[in-house]
Amino acid sequence: SQPLAGGQAAELQSKVVPSKQILHSNNMEMEPETMETKSVTDYFSKLHMGSLVYSCTSKRKNK
Amino acid sequence: RMEASCLELALEGERLCKAGDCRAGVSFFEAAVQVGTEDLRTLSAIYSQLGNAYFYLQEYAKALEYHHHDLTLARTIGDQLGEAKASGNLGNTLKVLGNFEEAIVCCQRHLDISRELNDKVGEARALYNLGNVYHSKGKNVANAGTHDPGELPDDVKNALQKAAKYYEENLSIVTELGDRAAQGRAFGNLGNTHYLLGNFRSAVLAHEQRLLIAKEFGDRSAERRAYSNLGNAYIFLGEFETAAEYYRRTLQLARQLKDRAVEAQACYSLGNTYTLLQDYERAIDYHLKHLVIAQELHDKACWSLGNAYTALGNHDQAIHFAERHLEISREVGDRSGELTARLNLSDLQMVLGLSYSTNNSMMAESQAVENSLNGGRPRGRRYSMENMELMKLTPEKVPNWN
Repeated sequence: SQPLAGGQAAELQSKVVPSKQILHSNNMEMEPETMETKSVTDYFSKLHMGSLVYSCTSKRKNK
Repeated sequence: RMEASCLELALEGERLCKAGDCRAGVSFFEAAVQVGTEDLRTLSAIYSQLGNAYFYLQEYAKALEYHHHDLTLARTIGDQLGEAKASGNLGNTLKVLGNFEEAIVCCQRHLDISRELNDKVGEARALYNLGNVYHSKGKNVANAGTHDPGELPDDVKNALQKAAKYYEENLSIVTELGDRAAQGRAFGNLGNTHYLLGNFRSAVLAHEQRLLIAKEFGDRSAERRAYSNLGNAYIFLGEFETAAEYYRRTLQLARQLKDRAVEAQACYSLGNTYTLLQDYERAIDYHLKHLVIAQELHDKACWSLGNAYTALGNHDQAIHFAERHLEISREVGDRSGELTARLNLSDLQMVLGLSYSTNNSMMAESQAVENSLNGGRPRGRRYSMENMELMKLTPEKVPNWN
């Protein structure tokens, strides 16, 4: 019948399928990389480091 | 004395990088390398940080070089933990450069050593890196063709399934360690991997977890990423209203974070979503918003490229971009952009001693545009983007603008 056909048409209309084009506009947002870190202070004993830093800072003060 | 000096420079480099000024940090680290040190562990740490600084500055060839030096050094001195770290960093860099097979070898090395040393934190980080390499590898091959999520060639599917497996393994360790930030990262990338595999429900679940953790940390960038990824997944679940809601939140946050490129992308996604919802008026509205920002970004790119080429003395290229800028400004009827482009071209002509032949009407037209704008010749062209933005990006601020 007429109304049914209209309903079917409406149903067809509402079944819009996302196209490939729309997919490729969807930017996927990735999480950041994690890099491993090293520090020059990692390998110094606190004592050794302390004396070096002291010599650095005292040198700086003398400038 | 020399030792202290190298160390002093390196410490300043570390301080600057921690403060977020990688460019300055690099200068200090390179100075430290120049001075030199006999302590190979110190040198290894300097190389590693130079590699990371260049990585963040997106100078991947240099990052590769320094991480490679670090790896060689770590092996030389028999520093296993140092070798593991260098391998991981090298792997991440190779991944960005698209060298997936070597990246896998390096990240696997990072994983193997971490397991040998019973280093759970290192193991988890290596698993995350491996997941990222396989994800990139899969995406890279998938992009070569045009596939919708879910309809994938076998090699792509294999790579993505491996990525998912590594993210899951990473998640089980970081959950055990109670490292919420790491969980957030893994959920985000796992969600994107499920999305590419066509497992949209799983993608939604992962991104919802990511969203939760982002809110816990008050990390608005991560929150925005989660909204955007949720929007993408709901599109393919055919739930366009929900997708639109998430894209609207993406847009809201992009504006708060003042990220114009992301704002443009969100407008574009919304335009597409309203097209699917058959609400064409709104679709047009968002596509126009996208167009305005895209134009602005294009202008900025032309401007920056023109500046860079001028600085290099490459006037042909500088003129090429100034002309493109002019062409596009004319096409979209951006009168102030047109003026800026004309003035740039005339500046370049002067630099070239007028050897550059142009149509003669250009200068006359320039004058006409300038008069119509009622603005003087903007000062500081080619030196200040701000002036140009005042001239060009905000026509409503130009007096007597029609």
